[in-house]
Amino acid sequence: MSTPQFTPVKEMSYNQALAELESILQKMQNNECDIDQLAAYTRRASELLGECRSRLTATDQELQSILASLENAN
Amino acid sequence: MPEQQAITLEQLNQQIRSLITCADTQNVWVTAELSDVAPRGGHYYMELLQKDDDGRNIIARSRAMIWANRASSIISKFEHATNQRFATGIKVMVCVSASMHPVYGLSVVISDINPEFTLGDLMRRRQEILNQLQQDGVINDNRQLQWPAVAQRIAIISAQGAAGYGDFINQLFGNNQHLRFNARLFPAIMQGERSPESIINALNTIAQEQDEWDCVVIIRGGGASADLASFEHYELALNIAQFPLPVVIGIGHERDITVLDFVANMRVKTPTAAAQWLISKNAAVLDQLQQTATNITLAVTERINGCKTQLSHIEGIIPSVARIAIERSKNSLQRNMLSLSAVSNRIVASRARLDNIALMLRNNATSLTMRASDSLAATSRLLNALSPQATLNRGYSITRINGKAVTAATQLNPGDVITTQLADGQVTSTINQ
Repeated sequence: MSTPQFTPVKEMSYNQALAELESILQKMQNNECDIDQLAAYTRRASELLGECRSRLTATDQELQSILASLENAN
Repeated sequence: MPEQQAITLEQLNQQIRSLITCADTQNVWVTAELSDVAPRGGHYYMELLQKDDDGRNIIARSRAMIWANRASSIISKFEHATNQRFATGIKVMVCVSASMHPVYGLSVVISDINPEFTLGDLMRRRQEILNQLQQDGVINDNRQLQWPAVAQRIAIISAQGAAGYGDFINQLFGNNQHLRFNARLFPAIMQGERSPESIINALNTIAQEQDEWDCVVIIRGGGASADLASFEHYELALNIAQFPLPVVIGIGHERDITVLDFVANMRVKTPTAAAQWLISKNAAVLDQLQQTATNITLAVTERINGCKTQLSHIEGIIPSVARIAIERSKNSLQRNMLSLSAVSNRIVASRARLDNIALMLRNNATSLTMRASDSLAATSRLLNALSPQATLNRGYSITRINGKAVTAATQLNPGDVITTQLADGQVTSTINQ
Protein backbone atom coordinates (compact mmCIF):
# COMPACT_ATOMS: atom_id res chain seq x y z
CA MET A 1 0.00 0.00 0.00
CA SER A 2 1.70 3.17 -1.19
CA THR A 3 1.52 6.30 0.94
CA PRO A 4 -0.12 9.17 -0.99
CA GLN A 5 2.25 11.98 -2.04
CA PHE A 6 1.25 15.54 -1.14
CA THR A 7 2.51 18.94 -2.27
CA PRO A 8 3.90 20.96 0.63
CA VAL A 9 1.11 23.33 1.75
CA LYS A 10 3.35 26.38 1.73
CA GLU A 11 3.80 25.98 -2.01
CA MET A 12 0.07 25.94 -2.67
CA SER A 13 -2.31 28.79 -3.36
CA TYR A 14 -5.34 29.16 -1.14
CA ASN A 15 -7.54 27.93 -3.97
CA GLN A 16 -5.41 24.88 -4.58
CA ALA A 17 -5.47 24.05 -0.88
CA LEU A 18 -9.23 24.48 -0.75
CA ALA A 19 -9.73 22.36 -3.88
CA GLU A 20 -7.64 19.58 -2.38
CA LEU A 21 -9.58 19.79 0.87
CA GLU A 22 -12.80 19.38 -1.04
CA SER A 23 -11.51 16.47 -3.07
CA ILE A 24 -10.37 14.70 0.12
CA LEU A 25 -13.79 15.31 1.62
CA GLN A 26 -15.44 13.89 -1.47
CA LYS A 27 -13.18 10.84 -1.42
CA MET A 28 -14.11 10.21 2.18
CA GLN A 29 -17.81 10.68 1.58
CA ASN A 30 -17.83 8.41 -1.47
CA ASN A 31 -15.83 5.68 0.26
CA GLU A 32 -13.12 6.07 -2.36
CA CYS A 33 -10.53 6.53 0.31
CA ASP A 34 -8.77 3.36 1.24
CA ILE A 35 -9.07 2.71 4.95
CA ASP A 36 -5.28 2.26 5.13
CA GLN A 37 -4.87 5.78 3.82
CA LEU A 38 -7.61 7.34 5.92
CA ALA A 39 -5.21 8.50 8.60
CA ALA A 40 -2.85 9.99 6.00
CA TYR A 41 -5.69 11.84 4.30
CA THR A 42 -7.12 13.09 7.58
CA ARG A 43 -3.72 14.35 8.64
CA ARG A 44 -3.39 16.05 5.25
CA ALA A 45 -6.83 17.63 5.57
CA SER A 46 -5.99 19.02 8.97
CA GLU A 47 -2.72 20.41 7.62
CA LEU A 48 -4.54 22.11 4.72
CA LEU A 49 -7.20 23.50 7.06
CA GLY A 50 -4.53 24.90 9.35
CA GLU A 51 -2.74 26.54 6.45
CA CYS A 52 -5.94 28.05 5.01
CA ARG A 53 -6.93 29.37 8.42
CA SER A 54 -3.57 30.91 9.08
CA ARG A 55 -3.66 32.60 5.71
CA LEU A 56 -7.08 34.04 6.47
CA THR A 57 -6.37 35.18 9.96
CA ALA A 58 -3.52 36.97 11.65
CA THR A 59 -2.46 36.99 15.27
CA ASP A 60 -3.26 39.96 17.47
CA GLN A 61 0.36 40.92 17.51
CA GLU A 62 0.59 40.94 13.73
CA LEU A 63 -2.53 43.09 13.46
CA GLN A 64 -1.19 45.59 15.97
CA SER A 65 2.05 45.96 14.08
CA ILE A 66 0.25 46.37 10.76
CA LEU A 67 -1.99 49.05 12.25
CA ALA A 68 0.99 50.79 13.79
CA SER A 69 2.85 50.84 10.48
CA LEU A 70 -0.21 52.16 8.68
CA GLU A 71 -0.63 54.92 11.22
CA ASN A 72 3.00 55.87 10.91
CA ALA A 73 2.69 55.97 7.13
CA ASN A 74 -0.02 58.56 7.42
CA MET B 1 -14.68 123.14 -33.02
CA PRO B 2 -18.19 123.05 -31.66
CA GLU B 3 -18.41 122.09 -28.03
CA GLN B 4 -19.66 118.57 -27.77
CA GLN B 5 -22.30 117.75 -25.19
CA ALA B 6 -21.19 114.86 -23.03
CA ILE B 7 -22.41 113.03 -19.98
CA THR B 8 -20.28 111.43 -17.35
CA LEU B 9 -19.62 107.70 -17.32
CA GLU B 10 -21.52 107.51 -14.11
CA GLN B 11 -24.48 109.15 -15.81
CA LEU B 12 -24.23 106.69 -18.70
CA ASN B 13 -24.18 103.77 -16.33
CA GLN B 14 -27.14 105.19 -14.47
CA GLN B 15 -29.02 105.54 -17.73
CA ILE B 16 -28.22 101.96 -18.64
CA ARG B 17 -29.35 100.94 -15.21
CA SER B 18 -32.64 102.72 -15.58
CA LEU B 19 -33.10 101.18 -19.03
CA ILE B 20 -32.48 97.65 -17.97
CA THR B 21 -34.44 97.86 -14.80
CA CYS B 22 -37.74 96.67 -16.14
CA ALA B 23 -40.07 93.72 -15.61
CA ASP B 24 -38.37 91.75 -18.37
CA THR B 25 -35.04 91.66 -16.54
CA GLN B 26 -36.24 91.36 -12.95
CA ASN B 27 -36.94 88.05 -11.23
CA VAL B 28 -36.51 86.08 -14.43
CA TRP B 29 -35.80 82.34 -14.36
CA VAL B 30 -32.72 81.59 -16.41
CA THR B 31 -30.89 78.35 -17.16
CA ALA B 32 -27.10 78.48 -17.29
CA GLU B 33 -23.93 76.66 -16.37
CA LEU B 34 -21.91 77.74 -13.36
CA SER B 35 -18.30 78.76 -13.73
CA ASP B 36 -15.65 80.29 -11.48
CA VAL B 37 -17.83 80.05 -8.40
CA ALA B 38 -16.04 81.94 -5.64
CA PRO B 39 -17.42 82.58 -2.17
CA ARG B 40 -16.05 85.77 -0.63
CA GLY B 41 -17.17 87.25 2.63
CA GLY B 42 -20.39 85.27 2.62
CA HIS B 43 -21.27 86.41 -0.88
CA TYR B 44 -20.96 84.14 -3.90
CA TYR B 45 -19.46 85.47 -7.11
CA MET B 46 -19.55 83.49 -10.33
CA GLU B 47 -19.97 83.47 -14.06
CA LEU B 48 -23.09 82.17 -15.76
CA LEU B 49 -22.38 80.56 -19.13
CA GLN B 50 -24.32 79.26 -22.04
CA LYS B 51 -22.50 76.99 -24.44
CA ASP B 52 -23.47 75.83 -27.90
CA ASP B 53 -24.91 72.37 -28.46
CA ASP B 54 -21.45 70.82 -28.74
CA GLY B 55 -20.58 72.35 -25.40
CA ARG B 56 -17.40 73.80 -26.88
CA ASN B 57 -18.09 77.45 -27.53
CA ILE B 58 -19.51 79.93 -25.11
CA ILE B 59 -22.34 81.78 -26.70
CA ALA B 60 -23.44 83.83 -23.72
CA ARG B 61 -21.84 84.92 -20.50
CA SER B 62 -22.82 87.03 -17.55
CA ARG B 63 -21.35 87.87 -14.18
CA ALA B 64 -23.56 86.83 -11.29
CA MET B 65 -23.63 86.99 -7.53
CA ILE B 66 -25.64 85.80 -4.59
CA TRP B 67 -25.62 88.15 -1.68
CA ALA B 68 -24.73 86.70 1.65
CA ASN B 69 -28.21 87.22 3.11
CA ARG B 70 -29.67 84.82 0.49
CA ALA B 71 -26.62 82.64 -0.15
CA SER B 72 -26.59 80.47 2.94
CA SER B 73 -30.26 79.54 2.74
CA ILE B 74 -30.66 78.96 -1.01
CA ILE B 75 -27.32 77.22 -1.48
CA SER B 76 -27.81 74.81 1.43
CA LYS B 77 -31.35 74.12 0.22
CA PHE B 78 -29.95 73.41 -3.24
CA GLU B 79 -27.11 71.18 -2.03
CA HIS B 80 -29.37 69.24 0.26
CA ALA B 81 -31.87 68.57 -2.51
CA THR B 82 -29.38 67.66 -5.22
CA ASN B 83 -26.43 66.24 -3.32
CA GLN B 84 -24.47 68.51 -5.55
CA ARG B 85 -22.11 71.19 -4.52
CA PHE B 86 -23.05 74.58 -5.83
CA ALA B 87 -19.90 74.73 -7.87
CA THR B 88 -18.37 75.17 -11.29
CA GLY B 89 -19.57 72.86 -14.00
CA ILE B 90 -23.14 72.19 -12.95
CA LYS B 91 -26.21 73.41 -14.74
CA VAL B 92 -28.65 75.50 -12.78
CA MET B 93 -31.95 77.24 -13.10
CA VAL B 94 -31.70 80.51 -11.21
CA CYS B 95 -34.00 83.41 -10.58
CA VAL B 96 -32.09 86.53 -11.51
CA SER B 97 -32.50 90.24 -11.68
CA ALA B 98 -30.26 92.27 -13.95
CA SER B 99 -28.33 94.96 -12.16
CA MET B 100 -26.03 97.71 -13.32
CA HIS B 101 -23.47 98.96 -10.85
CA PRO B 102 -21.73 102.22 -11.69
CA VAL B 103 -18.35 100.69 -10.78
CA TYR B 104 -18.72 96.98 -11.36
CA GLY B 105 -20.89 97.13 -14.46
CA LEU B 106 -23.59 94.76 -15.58
CA SER B 107 -24.28 91.61 -13.61
CA VAL B 108 -27.20 89.54 -12.42
CA VAL B 109 -28.18 88.96 -8.84
CA ILE B 110 -29.44 85.50 -8.03
CA SER B 111 -32.30 85.36 -5.59
CA ASP B 112 -33.31 81.70 -5.89
CA ILE B 113 -32.24 78.37 -7.35
CA ASN B 114 -34.45 75.55 -8.66
CA PRO B 115 -32.84 72.27 -7.54
CA GLU B 116 -35.22 70.17 -9.68
CA PHE B 117 -33.60 71.46 -12.84
CA THR B 118 -30.10 70.52 -11.72
CA LEU B 119 -31.30 67.17 -10.50
CA GLY B 120 -32.95 66.54 -13.85
CA ASP B 121 -29.86 67.66 -15.68
CA LEU B 122 -27.73 65.42 -13.49
CA MET B 123 -29.97 62.46 -14.23
CA ARG B 124 -29.83 63.25 -17.91
CA ARG B 125 -26.04 63.47 -17.85
CA ARG B 126 -25.76 60.27 -15.86
CA GLN B 127 -28.09 58.55 -18.29
CA GLU B 128 -26.04 59.81 -21.21
CA ILE B 129 -22.88 58.40 -19.65
CA LEU B 130 -24.60 55.09 -18.94
CA ASN B 131 -25.94 54.94 -22.50
CA GLN B 132 -22.47 55.59 -23.83
CA LEU B 133 -20.98 52.86 -21.63
CA GLN B 134 -23.72 50.53 -22.79
CA GLN B 135 -22.85 51.34 -26.39
CA ASP B 136 -19.18 50.76 -25.60
CA GLY B 137 -20.27 47.32 -24.40
CA VAL B 138 -18.36 47.68 -21.12
CA ILE B 139 -21.05 48.73 -18.65
CA ASN B 140 -21.21 45.33 -16.91
CA ASP B 141 -17.56 44.32 -17.30
CA ASN B 142 -16.47 45.15 -13.78
CA ARG B 143 -19.71 43.98 -12.24
CA GLN B 144 -19.24 40.57 -13.83
CA LEU B 145 -15.67 40.06 -12.63
CA GLN B 146 -15.25 37.03 -10.39
CA TRP B 147 -13.84 37.65 -6.96
CA PRO B 148 -10.99 35.45 -5.82
CA ALA B 149 -11.95 32.94 -3.12
CA VAL B 150 -10.24 35.19 -0.61
CA ALA B 151 -9.86 38.94 -1.15
CA GLN B 152 -7.10 39.98 1.21
CA ARG B 153 -4.94 42.28 -0.85
CA ILE B 154 -6.73 45.60 -0.99
CA ALA B 155 -5.58 48.53 -3.11
CA ILE B 156 -7.16 51.66 -1.68
CA ILE B 157 -7.77 54.85 -3.61
CA SER B 158 -8.48 57.68 -1.21
CA ALA B 159 -7.17 60.99 -0.06
CA GLN B 160 -4.19 60.75 2.22
CA GLY B 161 -5.11 61.53 5.81
CA ALA B 162 -8.83 61.62 5.05
CA ALA B 163 -11.10 60.59 7.89
CA GLY B 164 -12.82 58.06 5.63
CA TYR B 165 -9.53 56.34 4.89
CA GLY B 166 -8.74 56.13 8.61
CA ASP B 167 -12.21 54.70 9.31
CA PHE B 168 -11.70 52.09 6.63
CA ILE B 169 -8.26 51.02 7.88
CA ASN B 170 -9.37 50.85 11.52
CA GLN B 171 -12.43 48.86 10.63
CA LEU B 172 -10.53 46.51 8.34
CA PHE B 173 -7.62 45.74 10.62
CA GLY B 174 -9.58 45.91 13.85
CA ASN B 175 -11.95 43.12 12.79
CA ASN B 176 -12.62 40.83 15.71
CA GLN B 177 -12.17 37.64 13.71
CA HIS B 178 -8.53 38.54 13.17
CA LEU B 179 -8.95 38.24 9.42
CA ARG B 180 -5.72 39.00 7.71
CA PHE B 181 -5.57 41.86 5.19
CA ASN B 182 -2.90 43.52 3.21
CA ALA B 183 -3.67 47.09 2.16
CA ARG B 184 -1.91 49.98 0.50
CA LEU B 185 -3.07 53.50 -0.19
CA PHE B 186 -2.83 54.88 -3.70
CA PRO B 187 -3.47 58.55 -2.95
CA ALA B 188 -5.80 60.58 -5.11
CA ILE B 189 -7.68 63.84 -4.97
CA MET B 190 -11.22 62.95 -3.97
CA GLN B 191 -12.98 66.29 -4.42
CA GLY B 192 -13.46 68.75 -7.17
CA GLU B 193 -12.75 68.91 -10.86
CA ARG B 194 -9.29 67.34 -10.67
CA SER B 195 -10.62 64.29 -8.91
CA PRO B 196 -11.49 62.08 -11.92
CA GLU B 197 -8.08 62.43 -13.52
CA SER B 198 -6.34 61.84 -10.22
CA ILE B 199 -8.39 58.69 -9.58
CA ILE B 200 -7.71 57.44 -13.10
CA ASN B 201 -3.97 57.91 -12.50
CA ALA B 202 -4.20 55.91 -9.28
CA LEU B 203 -6.11 53.17 -11.13
CA ASN B 204 -3.40 53.05 -13.77
CA THR B 205 -0.73 52.65 -11.11
CA ILE B 206 -2.64 49.74 -9.58
CA ALA B 207 -3.22 48.18 -13.01
CA GLN B 208 0.53 48.05 -13.55
CA GLU B 209 0.85 45.74 -10.54
CA GLN B 210 -2.57 44.14 -10.74
CA ASP B 211 -1.24 40.65 -9.86
CA GLU B 212 -0.43 41.95 -6.39
CA TRP B 213 -3.99 43.02 -5.60
CA ASP B 214 -7.34 41.27 -5.26
CA CYS B 215 -9.53 44.35 -5.53
CA VAL B 216 -9.65 48.14 -5.51
CA VAL B 217 -11.57 50.13 -2.94
CA ILE B 218 -12.34 53.74 -3.83
CA ILE B 219 -13.37 55.58 -0.70
CA ARG B 220 -14.03 59.10 0.29
CA GLY B 221 -15.20 60.44 3.54
CA GLY B 222 -15.01 63.49 5.67
CA GLY B 223 -15.53 65.79 2.67
CA ALA B 224 -18.64 67.76 1.92
CA SER B 225 -21.47 65.38 1.39
CA ALA B 226 -22.62 67.27 -1.65
CA ASP B 227 -19.66 67.18 -3.96
CA LEU B 228 -20.31 64.29 -6.22
CA ALA B 229 -20.71 66.15 -9.50
CA SER B 230 -17.11 65.44 -10.39
CA PHE B 231 -17.78 61.70 -10.14
CA GLU B 232 -20.42 61.91 -12.85
CA HIS B 233 -17.63 61.48 -15.29
CA TYR B 234 -17.56 59.34 -18.42
CA GLU B 235 -13.80 58.72 -18.53
CA LEU B 236 -13.67 57.74 -14.89
CA ALA B 237 -16.71 55.47 -15.23
CA LEU B 238 -15.14 53.88 -18.33
CA ASN B 239 -11.88 53.24 -16.45
CA ILE B 240 -13.71 51.62 -13.56
CA ALA B 241 -15.94 49.54 -15.85
CA GLN B 242 -12.90 48.20 -17.68
CA PHE B 243 -10.68 47.77 -14.66
CA PRO B 244 -9.30 44.20 -14.47
CA LEU B 245 -9.89 43.88 -10.70
CA PRO B 246 -13.25 44.20 -8.93
CA VAL B 247 -13.82 47.77 -7.76
CA VAL B 248 -15.66 48.62 -4.56
CA ILE B 249 -17.04 52.15 -4.35
CA GLY B 250 -17.72 53.84 -1.04
CA ILE B 251 -17.66 57.52 -1.76
CA GLY B 252 -20.74 58.94 -0.26
CA HIS B 253 -23.56 58.62 2.14
CA GLU B 254 -26.79 56.78 1.87
CA ARG B 255 -28.51 59.01 -0.63
CA ASP B 256 -25.51 59.74 -2.78
CA ILE B 257 -25.43 57.85 -5.99
CA THR B 258 -23.15 58.57 -8.88
CA VAL B 259 -22.67 56.92 -12.23
CA LEU B 260 -19.72 55.06 -10.71
CA ASP B 261 -22.11 53.10 -8.52
CA PHE B 262 -23.63 51.64 -11.68
CA VAL B 263 -20.37 50.34 -13.11
CA ALA B 264 -18.39 49.29 -10.02
CA ASN B 265 -18.49 45.66 -8.95
CA MET B 266 -19.77 46.63 -5.53
CA ARG B 267 -21.22 49.82 -4.11
CA VAL B 268 -21.36 50.54 -0.43
CA LYS B 269 -22.44 53.66 1.39
CA THR B 270 -19.37 54.54 3.36
CA PRO B 271 -15.71 53.60 3.84
CA THR B 272 -16.68 51.80 7.04
CA ALA B 273 -19.29 49.82 5.12
CA ALA B 274 -16.66 48.94 2.51
CA ALA B 275 -14.42 47.49 5.21
CA GLN B 276 -17.33 45.63 6.79
CA TRP B 277 -18.29 44.17 3.46
CA LEU B 278 -14.75 42.87 2.84
CA ILE B 279 -14.62 41.48 6.36
CA SER B 280 -17.92 39.66 6.01
CA LYS B 281 -16.82 38.28 2.65
CA ASN B 282 -13.72 36.74 4.19
CA ALA B 283 -15.54 35.75 7.35
CA ALA B 284 -17.83 33.70 5.12
CA VAL B 285 -14.76 31.98 3.69
CA LEU B 286 -13.59 31.25 7.22
CA ASP B 287 -17.02 29.82 8.03
CA GLN B 288 -16.87 27.70 4.92
CA LEU B 289 -13.48 26.43 6.03
CA GLN B 290 -14.94 25.60 9.42
CA GLN B 291 -17.75 23.77 7.67
CA THR B 292 -15.25 21.82 5.60
CA ALA B 293 -13.40 20.86 8.77
CA THR B 294 -16.65 19.64 10.31
CA ASN B 295 -17.54 17.74 7.15
CA ILE B 296 -14.17 16.04 7.07
CA THR B 297 -14.46 15.03 10.70
CA LEU B 298 -17.92 13.69 9.97
CA ALA B 299 -16.77 11.84 6.88
CA VAL B 300 -13.85 10.23 8.72
CA THR B 301 -16.04 9.21 11.64
CA GLU B 302 -18.67 7.87 9.29
CA ARG B 303 -16.11 5.95 7.30
CA ILE B 304 -14.63 4.38 10.41
CA ASN B 305 -18.05 3.58 11.81
CA GLY B 306 -18.99 2.08 8.48
CA CYS B 307 -15.96 -0.15 8.56
CA LYS B 308 -16.72 -1.17 12.13
CA THR B 309 -20.30 -2.02 11.24
CA GLN B 310 -19.15 -4.00 8.25
CA LEU B 311 -16.65 -5.90 10.41
CA SER B 312 -19.20 -6.75 13.05
CA HIS B 313 -21.65 -7.79 10.36
CA ILE B 314 -19.06 -10.12 8.88
CA GLU B 315 -18.23 -11.34 12.37
CA GLY B 316 -21.89 -12.11 12.89
CA ILE B 317 -22.44 -14.03 9.70
CA ILE B 318 -19.21 -16.02 9.59
CA PRO B 319 -20.44 -18.92 11.87
CA SER B 320 -23.65 -19.35 9.94
CA VAL B 321 -21.78 -19.03 6.66
CA ALA B 322 -19.44 -21.79 7.86
CA ARG B 323 -22.37 -23.97 8.84
CA ILE B 324 -23.97 -23.43 5.48
CA ALA B 325 -20.70 -24.24 3.74
CA ILE B 326 -20.38 -27.53 5.67
CA GLU B 327 -23.97 -28.36 4.88
CA ARG B 328 -23.36 -27.64 1.26
CA SER B 329 -20.27 -29.86 1.23
CA LYS B 330 -22.21 -32.64 2.87
CA ASN B 331 -24.93 -32.39 0.32
CA SER B 332 -22.55 -32.42 -2.54
CA LEU B 333 -20.77 -35.43 -1.03
CA GLN B 334 -24.10 -37.17 -0.78
CA ARG B 335 -24.86 -36.38 -4.37
CA ASN B 336 -21.47 -37.67 -5.42
CA MET B 337 -21.99 -40.87 -3.50
CA LEU B 338 -25.33 -41.38 -5.14
CA SER B 339 -23.92 -40.93 -8.56
CA LEU B 340 -20.99 -43.19 -7.65
CA SER B 341 -23.38 -46.00 -6.66
CA ALA B 342 -25.21 -45.53 -9.93
CA VAL B 343 -21.88 -45.99 -11.66
CA SER B 344 -21.14 -49.17 -9.68
CA ASN B 345 -24.57 -50.52 -10.58
CA ARG B 346 -23.74 -49.96 -14.15
CA ILE B 347 -20.46 -51.85 -13.64
CA VAL B 348 -22.26 -54.83 -12.07
CA ALA B 349 -24.66 -54.97 -14.98
CA SER B 350 -21.81 -54.76 -17.44
CA ARG B 351 -19.95 -57.49 -15.63
CA ALA B 352 -23.02 -59.76 -15.71
CA ARG B 353 -23.31 -59.16 -19.37
CA LEU B 354 -19.67 -60.05 -19.81
CA ASP B 355 -20.09 -63.25 -17.79
CA ASN B 356 -23.00 -64.14 -19.93
CA ILE B 357 -21.03 -63.60 -23.06
CA ALA B 358 -18.18 -65.71 -21.65
CA LEU B 359 -20.56 -68.53 -20.84
CA MET B 360 -22.08 -68.39 -24.25
CA LEU B 361 -18.63 -68.40 -25.74
CA ARG B 362 -17.62 -71.43 -23.70
CA ASN B 363 -20.79 -73.34 -24.64
CA ASN B 364 -20.42 -72.57 -28.25
CA ALA B 365 -16.78 -73.53 -28.20
CA THR B 366 -17.52 -76.93 -26.60
CA SER B 367 -20.18 -77.82 -29.08
CA LEU B 368 -17.96 -76.72 -31.88
CA THR B 369 -15.12 -78.93 -30.60
CA MET B 370 -17.41 -81.86 -30.21
CA ARG B 371 -18.72 -81.49 -33.67
CA ALA B 372 -15.22 -81.21 -35.03
CA SER B 373 -14.07 -84.30 -33.14
CA ASP B 374 -17.08 -86.30 -34.44
CA SER B 375 -16.30 -85.37 -37.98
CA LEU B 376 -12.64 -86.20 -37.36
CA ALA B 377 -13.59 -89.68 -36.15
CA ALA B 378 -15.70 -90.29 -39.23
CA THR B 379 -12.95 -89.11 -41.45
CA SER B 380 -10.50 -91.38 -39.59
CA ARG B 381 -12.81 -94.33 -40.04
CA LEU B 382 -13.04 -93.58 -43.73
CA LEU B 383 -9.34 -93.22 -43.89
CA ASN B 384 -8.86 -96.59 -42.15
CA ALA B 385 -11.22 -98.27 -44.60
CA LEU B 386 -9.28 -96.86 -47.49
CA SER B 387 -5.75 -97.53 -46.05
CA PRO B 388 -3.39 -100.17 -47.79
CA GLN B 389 -3.12 -102.01 -44.44
CA ALA B 390 -6.81 -102.83 -44.60
CA THR B 391 -6.34 -104.24 -48.14
CA LEU B 392 -3.25 -106.13 -46.98
CA ASN B 393 -5.26 -107.55 -44.10
CA ARG B 394 -7.69 -108.86 -46.50
CA GLY B 395 -4.90 -110.95 -48.16
CA TYR B 396 -3.62 -108.61 -50.74
CA SER B 397 0.11 -107.76 -51.02
CA ILE B 398 2.20 -105.06 -52.60
CA THR B 399 5.27 -105.91 -54.68
CA ARG B 400 7.96 -103.33 -54.95
CA ILE B 401 11.16 -103.14 -56.91
CA ASN B 402 13.68 -100.65 -55.77
CA GLY B 403 10.97 -99.14 -53.48
CA LYS B 404 8.49 -98.70 -56.30
CA ALA B 405 5.21 -100.63 -56.49
CA VAL B 406 5.11 -103.19 -59.33
CA THR B 407 1.81 -102.97 -61.18
CA ALA B 408 2.80 -104.81 -64.43
CA ALA B 409 4.66 -108.09 -65.03
CA THR B 410 6.67 -106.48 -67.75
CA GLN B 411 8.35 -104.36 -65.17
CA LEU B 412 10.20 -107.47 -63.93
CA ASN B 413 13.02 -109.37 -65.43
CA PRO B 414 14.62 -112.69 -64.22
CA GLY B 415 17.08 -112.01 -61.52
CA ASP B 416 15.35 -108.92 -60.23
CA VAL B 417 15.00 -108.79 -56.45
CA ILE B 418 11.58 -107.86 -55.39
CA THR B 419 10.05 -107.11 -52.00
CA THR B 420 6.59 -108.22 -51.17
CA GLN B 421 4.67 -106.40 -48.49
CA LEU B 422 2.20 -108.56 -46.56
CA ALA B 423 -0.24 -107.60 -43.84
CA ASP B 424 2.19 -108.40 -41.05
CA GLY B 425 5.61 -108.09 -42.75
CA GLN B 426 7.56 -108.45 -45.98
CA VAL B 427 9.48 -111.10 -47.93
CA THR B 428 12.25 -110.66 -50.45
CA SER B 429 12.31 -112.88 -53.54
CA THR B 430 14.33 -113.29 -56.73
CA ILE B 431 12.63 -113.66 -60.05
CA ASN B 432 13.40 -116.94 -61.84
CA GLN B 433 11.28 -116.63 -64.78
